[in-house]
Amino acid sequence: MSRVADKEQKQIFERWVDQHKGLIFKIVRAYALTALDHDDLFQEIIIQVWHSIPSFRQESSVSTWIYRISLNTAIKWVRKERKHYPSESLDNVQHILQETGLHVDERLEWLYGEIYKFNEIDRSICLLLLEGFSYKEMANILGITESNVGVKINRIKKQLITKSKIT
Amino acid sequence: MNTMEFEELQQIWDSQNKRPLYAIDEQALHNRILSKKRQASHITNTSELLLILMNLGAGSLVLGMNFFSPDRSVFMYLLSAWVYATALYLLVSRIRRINSDYRFNRSMRGDLLYAISVATYQVRLSQLTRWNTLPIGILTLLGTWEGGKPVWMAVAVLIFFALASYAGGWEHRNYEARKRELEILQNKLEGGQTS
Repeated sequence: MSRVADKEQKQIFERWVDQHKGLIFKIVRAYALTALDHDDLFQEIIIQVWHSIPSFRQESSVSTWIYRISLNTAIKWVRKERKHYPSESLDNVQHILQETGLHVDERLEWLYGEIYKFNEIDRSICLLLLEGFSYKEMANILGITESNVGVKINRIKKQLITKSKIT
Repeated sequence: MNTMEFEELQQIWDSQNKRPLYAIDEQALHNRILSKKRQASHITNTSELLLILMNLGAGSLVLGMNFFSPDRSVFMYLLSAWVYATALYLLVSRIRRINSDYRFNRSMRGDLLYAISVATYQVRLSQLTRWNTLPIGILTLLGTWEGGKPVWMAVAVLIFFALASYAGGWEHRNYEARKRELEILQNKLEGGQTS
């Protein structure tokens, strides 16, 4: 896909967001803590996904592509993490993400908590691992070798399993 | 909680696929994207263009004032030539930067390397701006001296350039810190790489 017309880009964008919002939510939740941060990061990711549409060349699946864009955006977002919002923005903010109010499994809460303790790179590897990506796909998304991915995954798995014992 | 196998953790993770945690307020999202688009000012782009325009403007002003002045100063001509040369250098750097711009290597490492190259460019640009106050300051002082201007004027010029250099240093340190953060991130990503 080299040049996409605006209308076509809009259609692709809406389809992508509709089909893959779940994976974006997971990344948002793993990288941002407060509701305001969830909104902010979600917005950043959505904008980057929109911009990435013309450069999507179907060499990977859409979900891998969106994962890649979202993780890169989340890592950049963490770096410039905006902890200080102008006070008026807190009052007048119109939230983009609204919690559905469904009961959240406390083991899932625990898992998110543990993921959040990793540094931003290991956090992304952990998410890819839990999503079931292969070493090859992860190496491709991260731009590092499969053996390096393997080393990091072993460490992450070990850490998570040990923590589950302590808890 | 007993020790869990990784497969169990994966099952817990997968459980959220059936029930999304959030709903998107489409209208709020649309509004935010529009406002973001309006605000989208690319810092590097804007600062480059501003610097080029400022240098061109300052060079033209010095050249014009000196040309129409009864006592023309050779240092003022040199100063305007220097400032024009700076604008030209900035323009060439900008063209080179745009030509070698990001080709969407969307791997995390590719993205980081791109961010580091942009940060390196910003560090170089801020360093140039900072050190450029030295020749400009010297030429301005020489012009003031040649034109037989009062001492207070020379002191004011000195103070102005000292402040400009200090502000430039502050900006430069900011960019350097940002670059360092990126390099730390790159180390975290590549750490333990065996090949």
